[in-house]
Amino acid sequence: MIRLEGVTVRYPNGVVGLDGVDLEIPDGQFVVVVGLSGAGKSTLIRTINGLVPITEGSLTIDGREVAGASKRELRDIRSSVGMIFQSFNLVKRTSVMNNVIMGQLHGIPAYRSLVGAWTKEEKEIAFQSLERVGIVEKTWTRASQLSGGQQQRVAIARALAQDPKVMLADEPVASLDPPTAQMVMKDLQRINRDLGITTLVNLHFLDLARKFGDRVIGMRAGKVVFDGTGAEADDAVFEDIYGRSLTAEDTLPGTP
Amino acid sequence: MSVEAPPAVAVDRPRRPAPSLTLIAGLLLAAAFTVWAALQIDFTLAPLWRNFSNGWVVISQFLQPNWSFIFRVWDAWVETIAIAIVASAVGVLVGLLFAFGASRITNRSGWMYRTVKTVLSVIRSLPDVAYVLIFVALVGVGSLAGILALIMFNIGIAAKLTAETIDAVDPGPLEAADAGGSGTFSRARWAVLPQILPNYLSYCLYIFELNIRASVVIGIAGGGGIGQVINVQFSRFNYENVAAITVAIFVVVLLIDQLSQYLRRRFV
Repeated sequence: MIRLEGVTVRYPNGVVGLDGVDLEIPDGQFVVVVGLSGAGKSTLIRTINGLVPITEGSLTIDGREVAGASKRELRDIRSSVGMIFQSFNLVKRTSVMNNVIMGQLHGIPAYRSLVGAWTKEEKEIAFQSLERVGIVEKTWTRASQLSGGQQQRVAIARALAQDPKVMLADEPVASLDPPTAQMVMKDLQRINRDLGITTLVNLHFLDLARKFGDRVIGMRAGKVVFDGTGAEADDAVFEDIYGRSLTAEDTLPGTP
Repeated sequence: MSVEAPPAVAVDRPRRPAPSLTLIAGLLLAAAFTVWAALQIDFTLAPLWRNFSNGWVVISQFLQPNWSFIFRVWDAWVETIAIAIVASAVGVLVGLLFAFGASRITNRSGWMYRTVKTVLSVIRSLPDVAYVLIFVALVGVGSLAGILALIMFNIGIAAKLTAETIDAVDPGPLEAADAGGSGTFSRARWAVLPQILPNYLSYCLYIFELNIRASVVIGIAGGGGIGQVINVQFSRFNYENVAAITVAIFVVVLLIDQLSQYLRRRFV
């Protein structure tokens, strides 16, 4: 269970990223966060694993406070929270295997990690994670040689290798073409269903949000302005979240 | 094609700003300093012509190089190359460690970062010849002094160049490593090192080139190798031998430059 109480984030330049957000996300839920850019979606996702420190309030994952955590505690919390990114953030100059093992670095002592001496078990976890996203045949390929969709799947496998309880995804399909975006969203949904991993995804395509979100959270100016199911989130709701009428750019092109 | 005449009344076009007075004053000041410096040391090129006849004996000897001498000092050549290889290898490895300490990206401890930066500034503040003099005093004349001096010199260059490369890496993989709870060393090894490796290898080759060239000066100052041979031959007025060595050094440096450029193109 992730619980946010009165969470406010003020960046050093004075911009307010989150403004008194209260949320409760039960285990296993698939949550889609929507809003215009600058509305605080990315900040919300990044506060959950402490990449963005919160200014006020309290944020707990399974009762563990993220805000006041020491460096060691924070690393420990992060090891059970997987994350994927818009630009995939793979190390392009190394193999898919090494990239996926990066998800397990938390539990690997430095003397082994420095020379890349992975154990059989660690490699097995990497293989299983890659199998789950259907890309195991690319294990020994260099990450730079993969397409965008393949890279995002490797990134998902890297997060899965952490054996996470929570999966955070910051605009995971914004750099992908529409069919690939659908496939990556389906991968995330299947993983959520199969493994019961609580999943938070930032999106700005409202059709994807409706289709995949068990729960849709709408944000505007750092505040939660909508919180309901995907079915409840009709056009009127989105117009309210976006503060403007909808355009063709708000849906994924090329899909009905 | 007819273009309408511009309106008779001039519209408000932005005026070109006046040239900066500070810039003009600065340039004048720089010129004044240069003139002052030249006057201070009575700078003149006249001796170049006046003393030419004295030097003619030397130059005529230089123009008849004793080619066979190049191969008579074969051991000194091997020593020079060996010094460069050992000093480069040790220098770039230690330099890489220093580089990780000298970048805010990989060294997140404030006081440690400042300490490493200060140590590197001190290391870089001395030229290679000064290090030779220090190490000759410590361990005596010979290749060990040369190797130690070049290692210090190499650490300074390798650490500075590599640290600047680390500062410019793609922050994405770093963020991913942080989000996964990775430790500082693992993060540096897997999120940073693969990104900087091509540049780092290129710096290694560059430093090896520098070391071959520097070994001449190093040897003259007492660090062993071909530089020492030059020193001895010079003091015995065997200019025809010095001339042969000079030409050979030119060729060797050129060859190694070419080789390292070829390797850089292949691997980077």
